[in-house]
Amino acid sequence: MKAFEYTTALSTDSARELVADKGVYLAGGNDLLGLLKDYLIPGPNILVNVKSLPGLNRIERGANSWTLGALVTIAQLEGDTDLSKVFPGLHDAASEIASPQIRNVATVGGNLAQHSRCWYYRQRDVPCLKKGGDLCYAREGDSRYHSLFSGNDCISPVVSSLGTTFAALDATAVVLRDGKETRLSMAELYQKAWTEPTAHHSLNPGDLILRVEIPTARTASAYLQVSDKHTFDWALVSCAAAADVSGGKLNQSRVALGSISPVPHQVEAANAFLDGKALDDDIASQAADLILKEARPLEHNAYKVPMAHALIRRTLLKLKS
Amino acid sequence: MNDPDAAGGGSFSRRTFLKGLGTSAVAAVAAQTTAVAAELEKVNAEKILGPGEVLVTLEVNGRKLKLQLEPRVTLLDALRNYSSLTGAKEGCDRAACGACTVLWDGTPIYSCQKLAIEAQGHEITTVEGLAKDGKLSKVQQAFIAKDALQCGYCTPGFIMSVTALLKQNPHPTADEVKHACAGNLCRCGTHPHILQAVFQAAGVKVTSKTEVIHA
Amino acid sequence: MPSWPTETKYISHPTLRVDAVPKVTGRARYSSDIQADGWLYGMILRSKWPAAKILSVNLDKARQVPGIKAAVVARDGEFTVRYYGEEIAAVAGTTRQACLDALRAIEVKAEPRNEFAVNENEARKDDAPQVWEGRSNVAAGPPREHGNVDQAFGECAAVIEGFYTTPVQIHNPMETHGNTVSWTDDGVTAWASTQGISSVRDGLAGALQLDQSKIRVITDFMGGGFGSKFGAGVEGMLAAQLSREAKAPVRLMLTRFDQALAVGNRPSSFQKIKMGAKADGTLHAFEAENYGTAGIGAGADSGGGGGGADLTMPYLYRVPNSRVKQSHVAVNAGSARAFRAPGNPPASFGMESAMDDLAVKLGMDPLAFRLKNDSNEIRQREYAIGAEKIGWKEKYQKPGSSPGVVKTGIGCAGAAWPAGGPSRSTQGEAQINPDGSVEFRLGVQDIGTGTKTVIAVVAAEMLGLKPEQITVKVGDTNFPPGPGSGGSTTCASVSPTVYDICQRGLQQLLKQTGVADARGKNWFAACKKLGVNPLVVHGNWIEGLSNRPAYGVQFAEVAVDTETGLVAVKKIVAVHDCGLIIDTLTLESQINGGVIMGMGYALYEERVMDDLSGVVLNPNFETYKLPGIADVPEIEIVLLNMPERGVIGIGEPATVPTAAAIGNAVANAIGVRVGSLPITPAKVLAALGKVPHVATT
Repeated sequence: MKAFEYTTALSTDSARELVADKGVYLAGGNDLLGLLKDYLIPGPNILVNVKSLPGLNRIERGANSWTLGALVTIAQLEGDTDLSKVFPGLHDAASEIASPQIRNVATVGGNLAQHSRCWYYRQRDVPCLKKGGDLCYAREGDSRYHSLFSGNDCISPVVSSLGTTFAALDATAVVLRDGKETRLSMAELYQKAWTEPTAHHSLNPGDLILRVEIPTARTASAYLQVSDKHTFDWALVSCAAAADVSGGKLNQSRVALGSISPVPHQVEAANAFLDGKALDDDIASQAADLILKEARPLEHNAYKVPMAHALIRRTLLKLKS
Repeated sequence: MNDPDAAGGGSFSRRTFLKGLGTSAVAAVAAQTTAVAAELEKVNAEKILGPGEVLVTLEVNGRKLKLQLEPRVTLLDALRNYSSLTGAKEGCDRAACGACTVLWDGTPIYSCQKLAIEAQGHEITTVEGLAKDGKLSKVQQAFIAKDALQCGYCTPGFIMSVTALLKQNPHPTADEVKHACAGNLCRCGTHPHILQAVFQAAGVKVTSKTEVIHA
Repeated sequence: MPSWPTETKYISHPTLRVDAVPKVTGRARYSSDIQADGWLYGMILRSKWPAAKILSVNLDKARQVPGIKAAVVARDGEFTVRYYGEEIAAVAGTTRQACLDALRAIEVKAEPRNEFAVNENEARKDDAPQVWEGRSNVAAGPPREHGNVDQAFGECAAVIEGFYTTPVQIHNPMETHGNTVSWTDDGVTAWASTQGISSVRDGLAGALQLDQSKIRVITDFMGGGFGSKFGAGVEGMLAAQLSREAKAPVRLMLTRFDQALAVGNRPSSFQKIKMGAKADGTLHAFEAENYGTAGIGAGADSGGGGGGADLTMPYLYRVPNSRVKQSHVAVNAGSARAFRAPGNPPASFGMESAMDDLAVKLGMDPLAFRLKNDSNEIRQREYAIGAEKIGWKEKYQKPGSSPGVVKTGIGCAGAAWPAGGPSRSTQGEAQINPDGSVEFRLGVQDIGTGTKTVIAVVAAEMLGLKPEQITVKVGDTNFPPGPGSGGSTTCASVSPTVYDICQRGLQQLLKQTGVADARGKNWFAACKKLGVNPLVVHGNWIEGLSNRPAYGVQFAEVAVDTETGLVAVKKIVAVHDCGLIIDTLTLESQINGGVIMGMGYALYEERVMDDLSGVVLNPNFETYKLPGIADVPEIEIVLLNMPERGVIGIGEPATVPTAAAIGNAVANAIGVRVGSLPITPAKVLAALGKVPHVATT
């Protein structure tokens, strides 16, 4: 870790000013300190602690939508009993994130903005494409944790399970950008990672996530992941699904997958296919087929295809209960 | 752009601190912590500190530690290498093993992935702070009774996680214990005894199923 | 002939670990906690190339970093590095931050070699880049053959051929390797995180050209070693040099990253096994060809063998006709070191997998097949006990016949640890004070296995005192010498030694005080009669109280999700003998530990090298995965107490059969063999034929 200056911001305006063009925001710090310790990002010259920004650590419950402040911790999400009733998928996603020690400090904003966990990117001595190098080593090498889909040569996947779950819930991230509040869907929040190898998300330097708004329109939601280990392990594949279930039929269905694409993977045709259907094994399986149709597996990650298929089916069937 | 206060009285280099340990530590009342936090925030807010050493005041186990630290010093580094509190261990320095677990206002966190300067105004508890007046806590006693330790290097971290769990949930199920201890690794493989120790500390009688056959 | 007492108060009973209080309070000072007066922080700069010629190392700028007090090169002049992570230089400074900055200020001129081999399957090819220039990467021993193998296969009723592989496993003790070293005009003091204080002393003496008497090594508490911490290591030598230059103690502990690259591992194995049996289930013909890598510490230049890459095949079984070929493959990666039962877990996995596969082909129950071919009487008993505990009769079913998506299965495997005998040169002493307090001093280490507790239990038993009345001091080269703590030897070494010390102490007490039996209630009165001078008695290891080897069997029950490939171990039954049990509580802990480490080997652990860059991809706990508490199954332990055999160690045998038993249980559940450790979801899905074929690039 290089030396840096440190300050605490009391307002979003001053936070932006203090960060200027060579600083970074510090919230939970889990991802940031890891990046700094391994010298994976240039600089920064200053860390601006944003945890004292007012009003961003609350969960606000509305009739039509809930608002999660960007500083709400994962532990807050996990421990909120109302939330586990309204958004069970979100609760389950939160409770599988990392470990208690991390959930106690990690924030919603930090989870969304975290960098890739690709082991080539995280290896300080590998000059990979994501670090601005010429080559995606994972494509040539060991891609067991990598993407089935990508719009560019880098195949490191998005690992934010909140991002994946928010995508299924059609949530919006509100970002302070150039002094204005900008609203981004999850697809927009990660769009840049689809096309640009060095991008982890679409945020520009200095952008600050303020909050996430989740519509309550979908009455059912579910989340499942598979990891090598039972706890404290990144998902090999994760899946979130949400829908308005009435009369046994799905409406406004959304399925999103994590860890298999640089963005939360959604297939419009599959969402449309599910609408109006009563869920059973066969319907869920057909939806899974649609979602994985365009997968481009490599030798080491082809196992993710059947794994994702199973997860999609299971997650969808959970919507029924 | 050093904090002007840093040059003032009451601050110690690590070396002088180590020599003076015990006399320089000042007992602080836990209830004052929040007030102190708010005050510190006002004093330090929007003031640019570092990159050189600045005065960092920590509240650890009810005592005040005044240290001269660069902002990049982690809480774990500050405890282990700038003071004599080596109970929290460094196992990975990447928030992955739990040996460094301490309580932050009662909540378990990885002290290796927090800056010490961020901890100002928060009440930090390390394993050294659990025994009261020489009497071991229930969790510590149970770890001994169930031999929930081998080499002992992960033990302080586990004890902190379990202490926090039982405070919040005095009668956890096995699954709840596993969920609460998921962030702590043990290479000696002591997990079954740790599970037993948690139950014992929660007042549940646990007996070993091990059978000895006299051949 | 000495013998252990038959009626015991402490031996073979549970005794609380005597050094538990400092460990649960944080008072215990591990090597990494030492804060010697004026100490400095030390760090190592490592090669970022898998192979390179280092032309020069310039430390000038590093020395100018504020707080830096010393900087040294790992080797003088030009030198070659042969793996990613090899040591280049080291610095010492007042803070970690100073050291971090200094490492970045070191200027290294190097000629990286573009050709290197980090993968054993590539390195063993004829045209592979040579790890050691001018020498073949492959070193093959002569085939070991007896009987007529080719003919014998023709006489078999069933023959299987399998390919079983095990990965390079990293020790990953929770405390990394390292030392605090203080080098003054009076000599060197090293607080070492080690399993062998004597070997650290001798290593430092040799490297620093100092008398052994000028070096003191102290290990009060250490955070695990598992075979990887016997010497001072390069890091110990560098710490000493830094200390001399800085004229201050230097604490140089490795980072987790360092630990994964440079301080040992268990070699991989690639085992091609062909095995046949007669119709009645008698093993008749066996052929194995195995290769594995011990990093740069293998191949033609390794001198001392393959660092554990050799496997004893056909392991526990006698086959009348057998042929075994072994070779070691050098790769550009850190050297292997001893790792809990070197050679045994991989041999167990290969052989016990083949046993189950052959049993299935013969149509025999795998347990019955083992009982037919395993001549060891103790294991025969253990199998019978374990089978009943796990419910083998009710639970064993035809492979793959478990219904539903989540399939259950059971499996078993046997273990031996033939090397676990005592060190006959072990010595120790006790100081018996006039106030009745007594202190035992032995130059051994307690690496977490409970050695201090064993000493207290034996002493308490022999002197008629309570274990808490015995003060135990170990881990200091100023004490009478003892063996390194490894190979399950410590318990069998110290127990007879403490016995001898006690006997001599009682005799001497009789001589000096006239008290005929100073034990128990007479103890304090007898000690008081010593007057003002304490009695110091010296003792040695004596014959007849310890033994070897230990045997053991384990059974595993698993549930396999055939859609996700996830394996959950539900239960392990571990049946072990270790002669006379000293402390059932710490013994139980050690068996749990062996099982859990074996489980990690079975399902999660694997060092991953990158062919293209030559780096280790997972030098951390994020992607080098250790079992967590939620992964750990119910472990049911059955101990056979056999006092007549004397004391035997247990550390190694407890970890030997676990992976094989789990592998067999997985095969039983899903009906196909996953022949490659670790058994990941990816491999399970592939074995089930569910993974789409992708052309390799």
